[in-house]
Amino acid sequence: MDSLQLGTYEFSSRLILGTGKFSSTRAMLDAVRASGTGLVTVALRRFNREQAEDDLFGPLSEIGGITLMPNTSGAATAREAVRAAHISRELSGSPFVKVEIHPNPHHLMPDPIETWEACRILASEGFLVMPYIPADPVLAKRLEDVGCTSVMPLGSAIGSGQGLSTAGMLKIIIRDSSIPVIVDAGLRSPSEACAAMEMGCAAVLVNSAIAVANDPTAMASAFAEAVQAGRRAKRAGVMPRSGTAVATSPLTSFLGTAP
Amino acid sequence: MNALPAWLTDTRLSAEIVPLLSGRSEASLEQLASEAKAATLRRFGRIVSLYAPLYLSNHCSSGCAYCGFASDRKSPRRRLEPDEIKRELAAMKALGIGDVLLLTGERTIETGYDYLRQAVERAAGIMPRVAVEAFPMTVAEYRGLAECGCTGITIYQETYDPENYGKLHRWGPKRDFLERLETPERALQGGIRSIGVGALLGLSEPVAEATALARHVMHLCRSYWKAGVSVSFPRIRPQEGGYQPAWPVDDRFLARMIFVFRIAMPDVDLVLSTRENPAFRDGMAGLGITRMSIASRTTVGGYHDPEGAGTSQFEVSDDRSAEEFCRALRSKELEPVFKNWDPAFNGPIVTEEAGCP
Repeated sequence: MDSLQLGTYEFSSRLILGTGKFSSTRAMLDAVRASGTGLVTVALRRFNREQAEDDLFGPLSEIGGITLMPNTSGAATAREAVRAAHISRELSGSPFVKVEIHPNPHHLMPDPIETWEACRILASEGFLVMPYIPADPVLAKRLEDVGCTSVMPLGSAIGSGQGLSTAGMLKIIIRDSSIPVIVDAGLRSPSEACAAMEMGCAAVLVNSAIAVANDPTAMASAFAEAVQAGRRAKRAGVMPRSGTAVATSPLTSFLGTAP
Repeated sequence: MNALPAWLTDTRLSAEIVPLLSGRSEASLEQLASEAKAATLRRFGRIVSLYAPLYLSNHCSSGCAYCGFASDRKSPRRRLEPDEIKRELAAMKALGIGDVLLLTGERTIETGYDYLRQAVERAAGIMPRVAVEAFPMTVAEYRGLAECGCTGITIYQETYDPENYGKLHRWGPKRDFLERLETPERALQGGIRSIGVGALLGLSEPVAEATALARHVMHLCRSYWKAGVSVSFPRIRPQEGGYQPAWPVDDRFLARMIFVFRIAMPDVDLVLSTRENPAFRDGMAGLGITRMSIASRTTVGGYHDPEGAGTSQFEVSDDRSAEEFCRALRSKELEPVFKNWDPAFNGPIVTEEAGCP
């Protein structure tokens, strides 16, 4: 079976869902179910054990067959992300952590320096570390070196819906990586998720595009199908694009004819 | 008075926003609303973060002409004692509130820094997120608050018109326009993570006020790249003292101003309090506004004992219960969020990282 391997975990779906930004917990849960995902991320700041109606963690943990990946959104430094990871593991029991460190609370771009430091510490402590990163091939390899389970480069800014604006860098990351590459952030439509999979991503993570759709449930299943199609196309071998111009006079005539 | 800072007279933003604010642009109010809605949805999704104010005291040493707590008002003065603060926070917590704004007036003997710091410490033990709206402080004092769990500071300039500012702030420490203008920066230098700014609408000509406020936001974002900046849109409300606004701001202008801010600064939190009436609040939720106060009591001690708590700073216009308000948000496909922060992230942004002066 063509499953997604993350550490010792196997997932049949290659779509990962974010759980913020939905109009209600029920809408989020319906989308999670419709997506067929086996892995969802939830922010520690949205864990609310004291008020069930406001809590995302409780209802998610009750859906069967779903693994939770707490994220450290809100952390501005490695120290804060490590603290958040410890608390999240305590509360959720999940070995996964999505490291999200964005010191600027407006554009939410990940901090490569603090992210590397947090990942180094958390990987050495046995977490399955999934860092959200800028699409930087060098950083991706540095994170692989410290023991991350995957890298999650951004397609474009969180919530921007600008799709795969980092495609050039993503291709290098995918080519060079020995661990799964998962595009996280910026995807607007299923066709972009499909393109990411055709490019060779191991999975994609989607939140805003599903959460703010008029019908999040239908959009979740549309993404699920697009991800499957993209994956199948990748495995089937996408026809190479013709990009070579044909010179009017042969370029290699000086080499003579073959013997 | 010393010279005004360069950012306050920087005209770069003017060409973009003044025509929109003054209604001279071709964009209709409806078009602006639609753009603001789309921008909000993209960045913030369908959630509205909620907070509630807790008035610690009505002691004040200043003479703001428009405020019900000014030091010449006749109402009895009162401050919450530690056990009362605990009781109020417990009453708020029972309403589901997880984000509290502690308020007090200008510094007095009864309500000075130590009093405030202790209140923050107490609140941070109970609430996931604690912010403060109080007197201007020193960098070291702000650092002290950040260390005991204060995440945000709200400080309104009230008016960005220096001349008007001088007339309205009749006495007390708040008379110094520039000192107040520099306060958000001192808070950020002290490691406070987010700063809330605003102009009290009605005090001066509104297009100029909105423009200056936008410049202030841009200046803070540029100079302190790790700072969260949020903008509030308070309008003058009836209060003891009976001040009548010289420049009344109507609903259409206020809505326009909020749309323009959302379009010009798509990733900044925009805040609307219970000063506004239910129809306006419900209408604006999701059209730019991303943060709202709920179930507010603007009296000292008003959560535990709503009837016996005395005079308010201003009259609340939306007095719906938390439950009722959340129902209204949900009917608009918006999710009210009570906890959108975790104490794991509390503590000052460390000095060498705290932006540049």
